[in-house]
Amino acid sequence: MSAARRLDPVLLLALPAVLYIAVIYGVPLLVLLGRSLLVGGVPSLAPFISFFSDGFSWIVIGNTVRISVLVTLLCLVIGYPTALALARTRGAMQALILVAIILPLSVGVVVKAFAWQIVLRRDGIVSQFMTGIGLWDEPQRLLFTEAGLVIGAANVFVPFMILPIYSVLKLIDPRLGEAAATLGASPFYRFFKVALPLSLPGIVTGIAFVFSMAASMYVIPSLLIGDRFQTLATLTGRSFLFMRNEQLGSTTAVVLLVLTVAVVVASASLSKRLGGAS
Amino acid sequence: MSGGSGFLSVAGAAKTFGAATVLDGVDLSMGRGEFISLLGPSGCGKTTLLRIVAGLMAPDQGKVALDGQDITRRPPHKRDVSVVFQNYALFPHLSVAENVAFGLKARGAPRDEIAPTVAKYLGLVQMSAFAGRSIKALSGGQQQRVAVARALAVGPKLLLLDEPFSALDRKLREAMQIDLKRILRDVGTTAIFVTHDQDEALTMSDRIAVMYAGRIEQLGTPAEIYHQPATPFALGFVGLSTRLPGKVTEAADGMVTVETAAGSLRARANFLPGSPVLLGIRPERMVIGHDKANRIEAPLADAAFQGARVQLHFHAPEDSQILVETPVLPADAGPGTKLKLSWDVEDTLVYPAAVASP
Repeated sequence: MSAARRLDPVLLLALPAVLYIAVIYGVPLLVLLGRSLLVGGVPSLAPFISFFSDGFSWIVIGNTVRISVLVTLLCLVIGYPTALALARTRGAMQALILVAIILPLSVGVVVKAFAWQIVLRRDGIVSQFMTGIGLWDEPQRLLFTEAGLVIGAANVFVPFMILPIYSVLKLIDPRLGEAAATLGASPFYRFFKVALPLSLPGIVTGIAFVFSMAASMYVIPSLLIGDRFQTLATLTGRSFLFMRNEQLGSTTAVVLLVLTVAVVVASASLSKRLGGAS
Repeated sequence: MSGGSGFLSVAGAAKTFGAATVLDGVDLSMGRGEFISLLGPSGCGKTTLLRIVAGLMAPDQGKVALDGQDITRRPPHKRDVSVVFQNYALFPHLSVAENVAFGLKARGAPRDEIAPTVAKYLGLVQMSAFAGRSIKALSGGQQQRVAVARALAVGPKLLLLDEPFSALDRKLREAMQIDLKRILRDVGTTAIFVTHDQDEALTMSDRIAVMYAGRIEQLGTPAEIYHQPATPFALGFVGLSTRLPGKVTEAADGMVTVETAAGSLRARANFLPGSPVLLGIRPERMVIGHDKANRIEAPLADAAFQGARVQLHFHAPEDSQILVETPVLPADAGPGTKLKLSWDVEDTLVYPAAVASP
């Protein structure tokens, strides 16, 4: 790396975006951070100490991480093959898959979450289907369960897993697969030794997207699992809106921020390192 | 060398894409250890034929057999046919040594054999010093060498090379041609080399298959292709030539007299009087002066100095081309000078021409 790094004038093009983010997002964030670190106008770590010494906080953190990891994994399992199909097809079929992925993004999260409420309830279509094929003895409700939340959230976030993986996969030279084949590699070996490692940067980006969105989702858990189940995001919302406890709200918001930023930064550096090898 | 003993045999391979016939029933047979070039312009089907042999594409019709086994429907990873691609297709996430080891690992070669084999083939292509490097840190010529080492390391029955030198500059290309020839001779690999570069094909090949419009026009040694091109296409695509269309006026005892715009010329061939034909003469067979049997006169258009030789272009009647290569340009000749040209009857190539529409 060169020691002297000059400011590129092209970077000035990002100025409007930087200013916008600074005013709309940066300032309130600083206010929030300030609140969490000030007690009665005096700087203090007391809010964090009391937050982390409360057992309930750890349950909330656990809920957040567990749900985010499960949603991310489900999105990866569903999204990778879809991205592969998208990258390997051409023409009308590819357009069809792309539309099927992108069009649902135009439907609001609230609408989707309400739709899932109907699908997941005791007399919903999932329950009818499972009892119909005999896997369930009696109708069950998935609504207001963690499973229902993970299913619904994955539905909303899966495009953000598919698209980054697809954008990396489509750039992989198809001759690499052919070269591997003529060298004697079976389709299975080709996938695990060529396509998969080369698409890792896309996977990492997709994980960062979905994890951070799942960790901070508010509407979906509110509608699909309810108040009994708290995550950092829903607790933040409740602190401000219902409990009027701004101290707690800004503390949980900062914890959530640190968690998601850590995941995004870690994956960005991982992606860069993997991208550097490809 | 040129006896195609059928180590690889392609029979009646045909392939169409939509309405376009890319391969139109190609037969090709080659012996073990032979080096054959598929030579032709882009779109002639040479790359399609290569992909069919590699198993990367299935022919609509026809059979491919290698070493006595029908492999027409066999997937590429079970064929023992390696390919060096035009863009090398090296694995960017692997080092030089890992690229060369890839095929061995994929085939489940014993662990303790992989490292020595990789070292051997990297040595063969003079890339040992680069074993630990990233692919991206290599120049085009170095990537080329790694691609060859990777393809050879698995010990393929057949090596296919798809225009591997086309991205290299001229000097490097010529050095690589000689190197590759040496390496393949050392290893004893049977190879098919796809190229549109006639010099490359003439330099490297045991035999050349000249391809045009989905067919093999001629299969022969470089000397055969050059001195006895079988079709007007082979005449025109490989090397330069004087071309004179005409009509047979007399035919007797295997000799014909052909009336052309440049004059009446004799050739050894069997045609009926009245047949339209095309006469071809290689430029180095023609001499200045009327010392030989077939004689014409033509005004000089241009002289191109090429070091050991001078290439003379003449003004020629429509549909004709007159081209002579001579060691020395006559001192008094300049553009417009009418020069006497002649050549032997035996050096006159004769091809049936399409019948002119009435």
